[in-house]
This record gives sequence, C-alpha cells and structure tokens, in this order.
Amino acid sequence: MTKITSSIIGERLPKLDAPSKALGEATYGHDVRLPGMLQGRILYSDYPSARIINIDITRAIKVTGVKAILTAEDNPPTRFGYGKDNTPFKGQVVRSMRDEVAGVVAVDQYAAEEALSLIKVDYEPLLSIFTAKAAMEEGAPLIHPEHGSNLFHAYNYNHGDIEKGLAESDVVVETSFRLPYVSHACMETSVIIAQFDHRGQLTLWSTTQIPSLLQRDLSEALGIPGNKIRIIQTTIGGAFGRGLDIYPYEPIAALMALKVGKPVRIAFSRQEEFLAAPVRQPVEVSVRAGANQAGILTFRDVNATLDIGAYVSWGSVTPLVMMETTASLYRIPHVNFKADCVYTNNPVTGAVRGYGNPQSTFFVETVMDQLAVELDIDPVEFRLRNSNLPNTETPQGLIITSCGMQECLEAVFARADKESDAKNHIYKDLNLRNKGIHDSTKDNYLKRGIGFATTLNVGGGARIYRSDGCGATVKVDDFGHVTLITGATEIGQGSETVLAQIVAKTLGVKFGDVAVINSDTDVKPWDVGVHASRTTFIAGNAARIASLDARDQIFETAAEILETNPSELVSREGLIMIRENEQRSESLERVVRRRHFQEGGKVVIGEGWYDPPTEQVDKNTYKGNISAAYGFGAQMAEVEVDIETGMVRVIRLVCANDVGLAINPMAVEGQIEGGAQMGLGYALTEELIVKDGEVLNPHFSDYRLFTSADMPDIETIIVETDDPEGPFGAKGVGEMGGTPTAAAIANAVFDAVGVRITELPITPERLLAALDNN
Amino acid sequence: MKPFEHHSPNSLEQAFDLITQDDNNSYYYAGGTDINLQLKSGILAAESLISLKNLSELKGIEYKENNGLKLGALTTLRELQRTKTIYNHYPALSQAAGLMASEQIRSFATLGGNLCNAAPSADLAPPLIALGAIATISSKFGEHKVPIEDFFLGPGETVLEEGEILMQITVPPPNGETLFIKHTPRMFMDISVVCIAIRLLMNNGICNEIRIALGAVAPVPLRAVNAEAELAAQPFSSNNISRAAQIAAEECSPINDIRGTAAYRRRMIEVLVRRGLSSLNENYSKV
Repeated sequence: MTKITSSIIGERLPKLDAPSKALGEATYGHDVRLPGMLQGRILYSDYPSARIINIDITRAIKVTGVKAILTAEDNPPTRFGYGKDNTPFKGQVVRSMRDEVAGVVAVDQYAAEEALSLIKVDYEPLLSIFTAKAAMEEGAPLIHPEHGSNLFHAYNYNHGDIEKGLAESDVVVETSFRLPYVSHACMETSVIIAQFDHRGQLTLWSTTQIPSLLQRDLSEALGIPGNKIRIIQTTIGGAFGRGLDIYPYEPIAALMALKVGKPVRIAFSRQEEFLAAPVRQPVEVSVRAGANQAGILTFRDVNATLDIGAYVSWGSVTPLVMMETTASLYRIPHVNFKADCVYTNNPVTGAVRGYGNPQSTFFVETVMDQLAVELDIDPVEFRLRNSNLPNTETPQGLIITSCGMQECLEAVFARADKESDAKNHIYKDLNLRNKGIHDSTKDNYLKRGIGFATTLNVGGGARIYRSDGCGATVKVDDFGHVTLITGATEIGQGSETVLAQIVAKTLGVKFGDVAVINSDTDVKPWDVGVHASRTTFIAGNAARIASLDARDQIFETAAEILETNPSELVSREGLIMIRENEQRSESLERVVRRRHFQEGGKVVIGEGWYDPPTEQVDKNTYKGNISAAYGFGAQMAEVEVDIETGMVRVIRLVCANDVGLAINPMAVEGQIEGGAQMGLGYALTEELIVKDGEVLNPHFSDYRLFTSADMPDIETIIVETDDPEGPFGAKGVGEMGGTPTAAAIANAVFDAVGVRITELPITPERLLAALDNN
Repeated sequence: MKPFEHHSPNSLEQAFDLITQDDNNSYYYAGGTDINLQLKSGILAAESLISLKNLSELKGIEYKENNGLKLGALTTLRELQRTKTIYNHYPALSQAAGLMASEQIRSFATLGGNLCNAAPSADLAPPLIALGAIATISSKFGEHKVPIEDFFLGPGETVLEEGEILMQITVPPPNGETLFIKHTPRMFMDISVVCIAIRLLMNNGICNEIRIALGAVAPVPLRAVNAEAELAAQPFSSNNISRAAQIAAEECSPINDIRGTAAYRRRMIEVLVRRGLSSLNENYSKV
C-alpha cells in the first residue's frame, strides 16, 4: 500500500465559497425572497438637528400598495446601542441627517418611495454642531441632554513619565493630523428581512457579523426575549466591520413585520448606504514624540479628538486600538494617550476594518519617520532599533510571544531597489531609487520615493466583551462525511476554508470531505463575532478542540476493531491506521457505522469551546493582555509624485506580515492584498465628504475606491514565527494588510518631494498646497 | 424612481411623433447610462422615455479619406475606443472614449448621449471641438447643422429644441496631430477634474492651425481661442507655449465642487495645456 501523504495545512487551497459566488449560486441578503414579503423603506431627517413638530401621513397612507406607515409611536419603550442612546424611530428630535423619522411598508419599492415622498414632516431646526471642538465649547447645545455633556467618553492612558521622557530626548517632533470619514463601501448594501411566525418567534435574515450579540441587542431594542429571536446569516457581500453593531434599520424591519403580519425586507439603495450606514470616525490628533542620539525612542504623547457622530456605536471604542498602537508599537518607555469621544450632529461612526489602527499607525509611523530624519538615521535602521521583540511584555501589559516584526522590516527592505542613484531621496543613507523615468522632460516633474511603516495588530482575539470565545461542533456521519458547525461567521475572509483545513488535518480526512455550517443561531454555538482578526485563531482553536474530541471517539471504536490501543492510532485521508503498522487500517465510515449501528450505539459528535487566556483591559488604566497573540507587519511603498499636478502614483507596495503560520498562503495573500486595497484608498482617494452634517458624495463616482486598474503591484511576503497558542501556530491577519499603508505612502511622498502630508487622503490638491507652502 | 411609459419607435417619423410641441416630460434616450441615474436619484421625473436604439438613421461609422468621419449618434463609446479607423485617424477621440467610465458602461453609453447630456465634463466634447466636428440635427420640420463648439448652452443644456434629435456627428478629415489629456485622481472610472484636447498642424516649424478645447472648467466645453491666437502663425518655443497655457487658464471659468476647487482646475489647465503643446511640438520635431 502506498503511503498517503497530505499536508492540508499550508496548502494553497481555493476558497470553499468561491465557486458558488463566482457562478451566482450564492444567496446573498438581497436575494432572499419570502412568500408574501413586503418592502420597507425609511424616511430620514431633512435636518442635522431639529425638533419634530408634526408628521402628517394622511396622503402617504393612501398610496396604492402601502400597507403601513410607522413612526416613533411604534417604538418599544426601550433604548438600545452601546451608549443606550438610540431608538428605532426618532420622536421629538432628530440629531443627524441619518435619523430615522418614519418608515413605509408597501408591496413594492415604487409604492414605498411614493409614500415616502408624501410624508410631510414639520421641523423646527435647532442649532447644529459639526465639529468636536464646537461640541466641547462652554454652552454648546447638548446632543443628548440626558447624558449631561457632549463628551461621551474620555480615554486617558499613561505609562512611564512624559516629563522624564522629554528630558531624556535629544530630538522631539510635534505634529498634528486630520483623518477623514471613510465608508466600508461593501459591494452588498445593508439588508435585512424580518419575519414573525404564529408563535411570535422572530426570524431575521441578516448580514451581521455578530449573530449571538445581535440576538441580545435586538432583544433589548424590541423588548422581545432573546430566545424568541433567530438570526439566519445569508452569504455576506462585504462586511469590513459594518456588521459589528445593531443599527436602527434592524429593529425597524422587525417592528414593520410585527405591524403588518408579513415578512418585511429593508434593502438600502447605494445612496442610502453612503448616507445611513456607519463610517470610520474622523480624528484630529496632535502627537509629540522624542528619541535620543542613540536612536532609541524616549516618549510618545498623543492627544486625540474623535467625532463619534450623533449616537454611540463602536466608533467610540476605537481609541482602545489607537491606544495600543500608541503605547505598544515599538518599545517605548514613556507614553501618554488621551482621546475625547464627542457627540456631534454628524454621521454615526462605527467599526471599520483595522478599527482605529489605520488612523493610529498613520500618525505613529509618520512621527517615527520624522524622528529618523531629525536624528539623521536610516528610517529602517531606526525602526529596527526600537522594534518589538518576541517574548516580551509591553508596559501596557501586552504579552508578546511570537514576533516577526524585525523579519518583516528586513524582508520589505530587501525588496527595495538599491542600484539606482538617489538624487531625489531625502534619506541620504538609503541610496535607493527605482529606475523607470528616463525622459528628461518628465523627469523634471516626476519624483520617486520610497517609504516604510510597520504595524502591530491583535492576532489572537481581542477581549472587548466578557467572553472572547467561540464554540464548535464536529459531526461525522455514517458516510464518513464531516460537518463543522461553528460559531464563526464567513464574511469573505476565507474562514470556512481555513476552518475546514484545520478540521480535515486534525481529524485525518480529506479537505473536500468537510462541510462548514455557520449561518443559523438555532444551530450554531455562541461566538462573540467576526472582528479583531480573530477567526482563524479563536474559531480555529475551537474547531481543533472539537475535532480532537471527535477523533477520540472514532479512535475508541477503531481501536476495538483493530484490536489495539487508541493511542497507537493515526488517521489520514479518511483511514484509521496503526501508527507502527499502517497496513492495518479501517476506513473512517466503517468505524463510524460500527459505533453507530449497534445496541447502545453512539453518533460521533465532537465538541469544542475556546476562549483565549486573555483579559479585558482595566477600566481605569486600560492595561492588560487583551489578545493571546500579536501580529506584526511592515510595508514599503514606492511612489511617483507629479509635482505639477500633485498626483501620487504608487508604483509598488511590498507587504510583509508575521502570521505565525499560513494555514492557507493563498488566503493570507488575499487578506493582505484586500487590506492593502483599503489602505491605498485611505491614503490617496477615499473620503466621505461631510459638510454641515450632510454627505456630499454618496455615490461611487465621487467616493473613489481604488479600482483594479489603480492597484499597484502588491508583493506579499509571509513571515512565519510559529505562535505557541495559535492553531498549528497561526495568528490572525485580517486587518494588518491595510493598517500601515497610508503611513508608508505618506513617508514615500516625503522621500520623493520633501513634504509631510498629515491629512488624509493625500489628494492632488492637498499635496500641491503642501508643496506650495514648502 | 417613478413609473414611466417606455417607447421603442422603429422609424424616425414615429420617434418624432411621440413628442409633441409642449411635451415637457418625454425624453429621447440612447444608452440610458446618464438618464437612468437621473431618474433613480429623482433629478428627472419622466412621464415617458423614448428609446432611439432602433433607428437605423442614427447608426453607422463611416470613414473616407476625403470626407472624414461620419458617426451615427448611437455609436457607443466602446466603438469609438475600439474601431481601428477611428483609433488610427482620430486618436484623441478614441482615447477620450476609452478613458470614460467602465467597459460595461462604454458598451451602452453613446456619443450622442454624452453630447446631449451636456455635462461640462463630457469628455467627448473637447476632442470633437478640437477636430472641428459638426452635429446634424433633425426634427419633423427638417435638418440643420451646428458645430460642436456651438452645441452646448450650459450644464445640461444644448441647442436641441423640443422634438429635435441629434442624428450624426461629422468630423473633417484628419489634419495635424491631436492629443487628449484627462486629469483624474483615479486612473480609470473617474469623471474629469479637467480635460483638454488639442489639434495642431505645423508646416515647416510654423503653427498653421491650432485648436485648444477645455473640459470641466466652464459651464460648457470651451475653446481657448485667445491661447490659440497666441500661437497662431509662429514657431513654438517654451516661452509662447507657457504663455498660451497661462492664457488658456485665464480663459476658463471653473467652479468649486467636490472634485476640485476653481483655483486647482485653472492651474491644471495651465499644466496640461503646456504639457500637451510641448508634447505635440516634440512629435513634430521628431518628424
């Protein structure tokens, strides 16, 4: 018998869900149709801040096909959301232009739209607040008077002593930054279908990333017990953090369904998606940092103000991540971090991939570059000297075990072109320049430069809730078919594939024999949600534990058949064998049937629950080991700047990431490339323009995502450090691809033309203005 | 979007008859890529839409060395981009079409639609103005011709009267070198912040004919006649090229919007016109 060899872990396997998506077979939220289903539409506020005097629906309700019109009178008496400051519909006052004033249920979109246009709302406009600064001024009107202040929360972190750090510094830089609103820009707009059955059971077809928590949130928002709420997740056409919270349209759909006794679907138009879905929070930051002559960091002092919008969503918690970057990216003895999260009449801010990290990595890594220039030290060398190191604990309490930060930096640096002359370069020591532009006339206005940035990201979950756990069940049926039922959610990141690889390897079956069920709260075990780059690590460990449990059951029976001890057995590709004598084997399905079909028989079901050995940060000091592993990365951007037009073209982006171990290198590359695409947009083209509370570019023609045609070559480098806690040594990689990109590009722009851009995106006009001022 | 009637006439007469004199809520359309967005966003409320797609009189691409190019108004952007004779003889026009929108949209969107929609940023207008193209317009009362540079009256407004249809665009035989430059933050799928087209005919190092057309910097696509005058009947030098570029920047009247400020647009006109003129001049120097 030939020896069967199969690695599965580390193989470049195509994603399990890719063919059905490519062939149009996948059922997205927008594809769900239920018998008798009606369409719900929402009327948003005309003002960023106003008192609602009257809502007249007399004409709207008469439109043919309209079944019901809902207003705040239909609200349950409860409030919901992280800040308990939100209701489905707004009754007395509206606080932003995305405030829900009324909702129409109709047989189709046309009737619903006509009715929307006929609802007459009388407003009394109120004084509005559009900047965090104005919101904090003495006597400013209160967005939520019951909160007593427009300051929702002030974060205040410290380790070491800034004054001491300042005294130890030979160079100090101080820079202010402004960061923009950014949209998730998911291909599938927000959508939900709500249905009540005769028992009062509510079923929702949803694209949420937090099915277990959403049950709880909706229970609170609707005043329905959580055990009466079932969430079925459809194929999700893009999430990127959008699905991390409850939003008013979700309870609204349920209220509509309750009112009309029929299933109701709310599907956002693209414009509505830009206007009413959450956004990445804009930040104003001032950063002061120092280093000594030896090129060692002395201190970092950060003051941030976040405009969180009119209601609290996860945008107000992103300082926890900004704080982590500020306090723990590089070894740094003295750190202060302050962040004020402030209510305004602007759009609600939520969680977006990277969750505060693209912002903080941008300001931290720009300042790192400034320090390197001040010290006249090669910026890569400067970073290496201060790099995070394996098996260390940061003053913040992060316990860093595996750490490939230096390897990542060295790997991207090795890809830099060192052959050509350095006449454009600010960094004298680097002596790098890529060839390409030889035309003498063009050479006058096209300047090339390279820039670097690193990133630190949680890679082993993030305990922001009291449990960071995930449950898993592995079932093996009498055909030897394996089903993993996991709490984890597939949002296009490839979790189904990676989890199936982990199960197949652990159980010793073929990759193709594992199916993944992950979309129904009535079936799947609890999971805190898909966020914080945690799924491979947390759900992977849970799947592995469940697989080991199932394997024990199988080996117990196989040992009886093969007349040996379970400890003598191994399994591979669906065969159970004696380790020392692989000819003696039995097929998995026969073992399962033997176990099953006998008196007192049992089915093979393995259970797994993994909650990492971490802690929530202390409520006052914000210290603690929030993650069981940390991921690291470095990027090098090479840019070409047109100094007459201000255009920046990224020629190359080299991305190295320490992922512990790549369970599926192709999926890892996909995550890095996808992250880089968002990072490139954040750096150069993406901005949701909000003026006086209103979004001015709610469409893809003026909200400029990086398209495939704009993408530079992305060179990915996988650095493996074999994490001690991760499944097969793996760590999370979901967010790191995009976090250092803007900083690397801005640093490359500086290298090319000698100006620091501290406001994103780096638009041609912004860059030209900076060049003018230089 | 409100419900509307839809007509697909099979003859020009039927198409004319579908719009009466004082009918303000019926619209002719071709590819539908602009009107669809306007209907969806509520900018436009149409009672009826009349598709011109079946009208053979509006179709066809014909090139003759002596007569130039005849383009039916239904010619798609993709055809402008991919038709070899257009690419070979009118590269600026072909490039402008190829840089618009996406492959999918270019397969639907038409030459006539781009002109009749009359966006100040309509990319096909500057090359057609630079090339001296002429529009043929028909109604049930007859036919007349208008140079493209006189076709636009303001944003969304053209010389077309109620019941008139843009039939055809005629482009004179190629005469000189042409060039189109589009300035956008993204490389593709972006609307011009500014764009320019230039046609230059040099004889023995002297500028014999020059046309400079500017897009997205005025209520209508614009001809920079003063800049042209600066260069007429002279050899090119870096001095008069720079001066002409400055004059072109002064001739435009851009606005501030989310795609760019007026000052930036003006400045880009200067940069692009200078680069365009230099590049065309270099082409002649090489010959």
